[in-house]
Amino acid sequence: MTTLPQAVPAAVPPKGQGPPAIRRVGRRRRPSGEPPPLPRHLNASGKWWLALSGMVIVVWVVVWATGSVHFFDVADTRVLQAFQQIRTPALTRVAHISGLLASATAIYLLWLGNLAVLVAVRRWRHLFVWVAVGLIAVQVGASMASTLQRPRPFDVEIIGPWSGFSMPSLPVTVLAAFLLNTVYALVPAGRFRTIGKWVVCGLLAITALSRMYLAQDHPTDIVAGVILGVAVPLAAFRLLTPNDVYPVRYRRGRPAHLDVTGSRGEAIVRALEDQLGLLVTDVSPFGLAGSGGSTPLRITVKAAGEGESCVFGKLYAATHVNSDRWYKLGRTLLYGRLEDEQPFHSVRRLVQYEDYVLHLFTDAGLPTPRPLGIVEITPEREYLLVTEFIEGGREVGDADIDDAIIDQGLGVVRRMWEIGVAHRDIKPANLLVCDGRLVVIDTAFAEVRPSPWRQAVDLANMMLVLGLRTDAERVYRRARRQFSDEEIAEAFAATRGLTMPSQLRRLLRQQGRDLHAEFVALLPYQLPPVRIQRWSWRRIGLTLATLIVALLCASITASLLRSPL
Amino acid sequence: MNRPAVAVLSLVLAGCLAGCGGNQSSAAITTAPLCPAGGGGAGNGVILMAQSVPTAAWVPCIRTTLPSGWGFEMLDARNSLSRFWLDSDRDGTKAIEVRLQASCDTTGATEIASDRESMRRLERVRRVSPTYAGERYYVFPGGCLSMVFQLHGDSPGEALALASQSVGVVSRADLRQQVHRDSDGRIELDPSRGDR
Repeated sequence: MTTLPQAVPAAVPPKGQGPPAIRRVGRRRRPSGEPPPLPRHLNASGKWWLALSGMVIVVWVVVWATGSVHFFDVADTRVLQAFQQIRTPALTRVAHISGLLASATAIYLLWLGNLAVLVAVRRWRHLFVWVAVGLIAVQVGASMASTLQRPRPFDVEIIGPWSGFSMPSLPVTVLAAFLLNTVYALVPAGRFRTIGKWVVCGLLAITALSRMYLAQDHPTDIVAGVILGVAVPLAAFRLLTPNDVYPVRYRRGRPAHLDVTGSRGEAIVRALEDQLGLLVTDVSPFGLAGSGGSTPLRITVKAAGEGESCVFGKLYAATHVNSDRWYKLGRTLLYGRLEDEQPFHSVRRLVQYEDYVLHLFTDAGLPTPRPLGIVEITPEREYLLVTEFIEGGREVGDADIDDAIIDQGLGVVRRMWEIGVAHRDIKPANLLVCDGRLVVIDTAFAEVRPSPWRQAVDLANMMLVLGLRTDAERVYRRARRQFSDEEIAEAFAATRGLTMPSQLRRLLRQQGRDLHAEFVALLPYQLPPVRIQRWSWRRIGLTLATLIVALLCASITASLLRSPL
Repeated sequence: MNRPAVAVLSLVLAGCLAGCGGNQSSAAITTAPLCPAGGGGAGNGVILMAQSVPTAAWVPCIRTTLPSGWGFEMLDARNSLSRFWLDSDRDGTKAIEVRLQASCDTTGATEIASDRESMRRLERVRRVSPTYAGERYYVFPGGCLSMVFQLHGDSPGEALALASQSVGVVSRADLRQQVHRDSDGRIELDPSRGDR
């Protein structure tokens, strides 16, 4: 057993940097009833379509209750008879062709095509909404037709294919829903989507004319079908996949990164002034490559004197909470008891936690950006965590590393051990070097009172990161000033493969070095590897539940691949 | 309700929406097409069947409450063909299929004395063991009513009798009158010949 050396005093104390010299104005409390900076809402057209569908249902109920369907029958018949008067062989051929879009085959192809594209582009939320809306439109349309039991048009010769009762027109309902689904799930918001809506409008008009010419449906069946088929997807997509949070885009980029232009950008500016008293002049994405769990922002604000200053913002949304939940489920399934932890259940909790950890780190003298506050963008859905901006900071993987930086890095781990915290995401992107000072960022994954294994992993990962730009022998030599051989040996026994952040693993592979083995070779002795795989009843239960859900999903998927009609 | 419960419920709902319909078409009708009774008109399902075969002088319907052990499965009415099925707890699901078409292939069927006025009756027995399979045809002007039997029970005679007793027919003329009456004489079931 070796003797324990005296640990070097903890991390280098901050050099007195306070919050950036920013100008503050009076904060304003949002009075009751005033909408938040970025409210969730249906647009006016969404409300109109929902109101129209409500009206259709009311009319159905009134007609059904009063038995007055014959008034509609007579009016519809006169319209269809007018179409019948203009029938010619050529027009009939045209009507048959232009009505093909509402055929079962075309609708099935539309269904499968959309599912395939959404799976290919991995736009899962849109896919789920698409499927749900599609199925709901079919079921609601079929149920209404079965309840109302309206026969096909009377007093005219029906010369096109049809099936079942006519009100609402099921093919038109489903076609309208599918076309609108397609526009909202596949076409980016803005000019292209507006064009898409007009195209859908045109296609529905052609289909409607075709079906009236062929007397397949009454005009009122078609109107009801269009209203139902448009209202359901419009409401569902606007409420469940708002453009601000789930934009449809095809350029490269992580889905976690939100668009901060447009209404969200304006909301951020307004919210920062109202809630933190900051006068924002610019909001732009910053360091997106190193962040997968939030949208990092460089926010330019007016300085206390002349000129401008900067603060750093991390924008969190519901998507990030979902990602966190999947990430933690994955880690629990992969590792078991050592990573046994509960996911966050709301964006507010996630942001509050990170803000708390930042305060904890700052109070403990750890070099982290100073927290400046939390800003609410949309209640329970979007929050902005604002901190000090590390001007001129470079990732440790790109910076020059000297003994002072190595000592600071190791000192950070020692200090975290002392206060009972693990960072859990020590990687080059989360260690910045600025004016000879090492700063630790992104404390979202930090854990208070972690397992000893997790603390040991932090040390090994820190040594590996520092070794990337230097060499193992130098880092090890400096480490022995703050840690005992047992502690270092434990760290490397605990750390291998998946316990290293993916960025660190990638950089090690790029360098073609087995840095882990180099460190292990320097140790006076090795400890047996810490067993990562731990089984608990929770892990077994979660694994079984995941398998059952996977089987259920497979079964549902098989059902979904059938024609919805 | 917590999130896992919501997720499980969503999955079950999705499963139901996706799969509870089985192989049934969305346009399938689960209300029985009832014959006119007690001065009331025929059900809209019967009118729909009349529309599916505009030439048929007669349209099938379900005459009475089905006997115990029998149930109505569904009606599939579409242009040029209508059919509905009857289920039995002894003879299996879709034990009897009743079809209305403009014409049918009666090759190999034997004509016997008809129990229905204005219709020719033909019977074809394909198999009697281990299960009964056969067809019964009623041929009339502009249409053909066929009953397809797939009986898995021990006594096919019951099902064959039920088909005669419970499956009735209503004349197109009666349906025309019904539509005319219900619309106060403003619309007709079929287009007048001059409009075609």
